[in-house]
Amino acid sequence: MTFYEKELHSIRRIVYSNEGQIKTVIGIRNYIDHNYDANLNLDVLSHIRFVSKYHMLRLFKKYYGQTPRQYLIDKRIEISKGHLQDGMSVTESCFAVGFESVTSFSTLFKTKTGKTPTEFQKEQLSRSKID
Amino acid sequence: MKVTLISIPVRDQEKALKFYTEILGFIKKKDMPLGGGNRWLTIVSAEWQDGPELLLEPGPIHFEPCKVYQDALMEAGYPYTQFDVKNVVTEYERLTKLGVEFSMKPTEMGTVKVAVFNDTCGNNIQLVEEL
Repeated sequence: MTFYEKELHSIRRIVYSNEGQIKTVIGIRNYIDHNYDANLNLDVLSHIRFVSKYHMLRLFKKYYGQTPRQYLIDKRIEISKGHLQDGMSVTESCFAVGFESVTSFSTLFKTKTGKTPTEFQKEQLSRSKID
Repeated sequence: MKVTLISIPVRDQEKALKFYTEILGFIKKKDMPLGGGNRWLTIVSAEWQDGPELLLEPGPIHFEPCKVYQDALMEAGYPYTQFDVKNVVTEYERLTKLGVEFSMKPTEMGTVKVAVFNDTCGNNIQLVEEL
């Protein structure tokens, strides 16, 4: 066993010893991955695993380093990129990933990717034409 | 400021290019001569071609401390960097069949599963799958 692997095992003992908590957060993350287009909030997410919402929030942050909300937003933006690349309109892409306002979707998209959805789509489509 | 590039030290750029493209499946993005047989050589992920570029830099050949550091990491089994995969076990099996050597088999670490292989260019690389 390498020195690195020994170090990992010791980290696992310190950080990942509570299997119940790990099951809970993995379950919540999987739920977000499959239901990113639904209206997800702390109440919905905490009900899935029968934990209180602030406990769930703390656990998720502890094991994934970001809040469920931040994780959900990143997931939605990532998937909307695929829709835009496939030629779906900005409005359709926005609703398809669960955002309710096109304006806030566009602003968020620009903050996260550096481009507006329209700019991103133009660039992607023109790139595929050149290829 | 934007993060668009990460670099990885390699002993032989041509060998590294072959390994990273033919075995791991990356795609060559930039290849410019820098004099003395050195190249500005970058690759990108095939499934995320506008993601960050990975610079295969010949540091260990020209700068002794780089070689010393790289050797020490290799000796201890420490990964120089890590790549995200959808399924660590599938990649482990695919790469093992292609003759890639793993110093750490797929191992669960709480909310992630990791494995470590030798890139044949002086580095250990970790594969990680978020659970």
